Amino acid sequence: MGNKLKTRKKGISYAKWGYIFILPFFITYIIFTLTPQIMTIYNSFFENYRNGLKQVGPNFVGLKNYIALFTPDKTGTIGMLKYFGNTMILWLMGAVPQIVVALLLAVFFTSYRLNIKGQQFFKTVIYMPNLIMAAAFSMLFFTIFSTVGPINQILLAKGIVEKSVNFLGIKVSVRILISLMNFLMWFGNTTILLMAGIQGIDQNMFEAAEIDGASSLQVFFRVTLPLLMPILVYTVITAMIGGLQMFDVPQVLTNGKGTPDRASMTMVMYLNNYLGTSKNFGMAGAISVILFLISAGLSFFVYGSLTKQYKK
Amino acid sequence: MKKLIALLLALVMVFALCACGASTETGKTEPAKTESEPAKTESEPAKTESEPAKTESEPAPAEGKVFNLYAWNEEFIGFLKAYYAVEKDGDWYLPDGVTKINFVITPSDNGAYQQKLDEALLAQADAADNDKVDLFLAEADYIQKYAESEYTQDITAIGVTDFSNMYKYTVQAASDENGVVKGVSFQCCPSALIYRRSIAKDVLGTDDPAEVQSLLDSWDKFNAVAADAKEKGYYMTASFAETYRPFSNNCTTPWVNENNELQFDDQILAWIEQTEVFCENGYTLADSGIWDQPKNDQMFADGKTMCFFGPAWYFNFCMGNAQDPEKGCIGDWAICEGPAAHFWGGTWMMAPAGTDNAEAVAEIMNLFTNNEEVCSKLVTEQAQFSNNMAVNAKYAEDPNFGSEFLGGQNPVAVFSAMTDNIKWENHTIYDQACNEDLQNNLQQYFQGLVDKETALNNYYLALQEKYPEIVTP
Repeated sequence: MGNKLKTRKKGISYAKWGYIFILPFFITYIIFTLTPQIMTIYNSFFENYRNGLKQVGPNFVGLKNYIALFTPDKTGTIGMLKYFGNTMILWLMGAVPQIVVALLLAVFFTSYRLNIKGQQFFKTVIYMPNLIMAAAFSMLFFTIFSTVGPINQILLAKGIVEKSVNFLGIKVSVRILISLMNFLMWFGNTTILLMAGIQGIDQNMFEAAEIDGASSLQVFFRVTLPLLMPILVYTVITAMIGGLQMFDVPQVLTNGKGTPDRASMTMVMYLNNYLGTSKNFGMAGAISVILFLISAGLSFFVYGSLTKQYKK
Repeated sequence: MKKLIALLLALVMVFALCACGASTETGKTEPAKTESEPAKTESEPAKTESEPAKTESEPAPAEGKVFNLYAWNEEFIGFLKAYYAVEKDGDWYLPDGVTKINFVITPSDNGAYQQKLDEALLAQADAADNDKVDLFLAEADYIQKYAESEYTQDITAIGVTDFSNMYKYTVQAASDENGVVKGVSFQCCPSALIYRRSIAKDVLGTDDPAEVQSLLDSWDKFNAVAADAKEKGYYMTASFAETYRPFSNNCTTPWVNENNELQFDDQILAWIEQTEVFCENGYTLADSGIWDQPKNDQMFADGKTMCFFGPAWYFNFCMGNAQDPEKGCIGDWAICEGPAAHFWGGTWMMAPAGTDNAEAVAEIMNLFTNNEEVCSKLVTEQAQFSNNMAVNAKYAEDPNFGSEFLGGQNPVAVFSAMTDNIKWENHTIYDQACNEDLQNNLQQYFQGLVDKETALNNYYLALQEKYPEIVTP
């Protein structure tokens, strides 16, 4: 009798209901994320493409696809590294100003001393670009900056240039345009995230710091930033993963060609090239796996380096 | 009891989730279904007729109630609407008034049209009758890929048997290796030199087609005139790729040989050489591709470009700016053969295997190639050069027939004289990618953005991404 009571007591644990309630997420995750991921890795070891209307493969080829990705071409460049470099440059050019500006705006908007009026209005306006489809936004820039577009017409009319400038043919200007678009589209989103983070900090901290005679800069670096760190790390990591997967803006702006000289071709655009006419799932799979490894590695690195000095 | 309820709730949640997953899959087929739905409900008689078609066990399935037509632009669809299809409440039907025509249009850029079409053809065997491709259009650059595949069918078996009035190359193009004809073209596309009369007068001193032809009948003469035009403030052509077809059509070797190796024909090398000079000296617009706005802007009356190259479809379908009532210059144009005989493009109607509307397919094919009345209308109303020699001969000899756009010149007579020189040879299934990617990548070289080696290397990369089997140099 006593024994029975004991087991019954042990049995009253509500933890399992917790597990059951989070089960749907895990099932979704397994079906829609984990399985495709494993399938991608599996596919990357096969030769599997279409030649016209004829299907070739799938034949197991081991690491051949990976070796092909890292084999230098005739000019000695390794495609994969070049496109990874492009992606990182494009991301940094957009993400650094994005986070700096967003941080500044978030501090201004939340500062009780500035007490900016019409916050709701400004928040809506800076978030607005994010609501436009990236492809439409890109198309708009393509038209504005084309050789016969309005920017060139203005430059010609004002006599600033003699011949229309081919903005989409110059490496630097294409990269600036892509970064600018990404910046415009995402800084509002980041601002709102960071504002929420700052508002979550106890107001007494700021007041206490001020009573102690801290300047605005000191408050920012000694109080706001450390307490904001978890949100900031989250923002940087999500921005980075988004950046590594950059696709729509450069794809539409350069019509999928990554002009000039494939200098604005990102890794996902490269992947997409293999999924077009050739339906080359082997090579595309290999690129995806590498992309996954890079994302994972960089995320650990960023998380580690940003949280290190604030630990303890 | 509590436990039971909790378990039940959890199960319901899991079930709901699975149901969601399942519904996304069926969701995919939903749009196609709904598209075909109106055809059944809108016309009353259709409702009853469609009933037997629904049961799949029927031994001889009735004709499908949706006619799926795959195309990359509106050109042919316009003709179909004008001479064959009937309109009802804003939708288009076959003449039976029951079968709805579903136009599936995908632009051909970057192989997008072929990708869409390939997916549909590969799924053709398992597709429901109303989702089957019934007729698709193909262009010279990739027609071989479909003609030689098992996804197209012998049209003589479905009732298109008379090829006697068609130009020989249009039949060859749509045939497989064994000479089985899989499709027909409603147009013949000898490509002419289309020039601005006013500019020719200024540069060459004449605008008479015969005299202009004698002054521009070789590439040497053409290149020399380009320099004269430049001196007078004109462009010879308006795109770096303008002269690509006259060269590439005269290649004596295919792009890819039997060992799958990419090879450059002398004609292609000659084009590169000429374009280098043209771009360097400003004889043409290096920034403009063949379909780009800077080139199209040159077609306005205030344009400064003397020469364009193109077949009948080009000046009647693609030179809208020149035909603009206010800014255009109708009548200030004329055509002659130019430095090299060639053809460009052309639209073939192909019969896919497994169509459930074979009768209609044959009817359309015969209508646009062998029906004298419709072919005549193509010539007179649509300014086409039809694929019916008898009809073309009639207009070529008609002294009263002339094009207002060409200042009264009779284009049919000019094109008829050119047809003998058109050959269908040295084509591969890779041609579209080879031609398009070569132009795209070399443009950056012509613009001075990259050196030649880099541009060619990027060309090889682009080709390998599309066709891993091609061995590049």
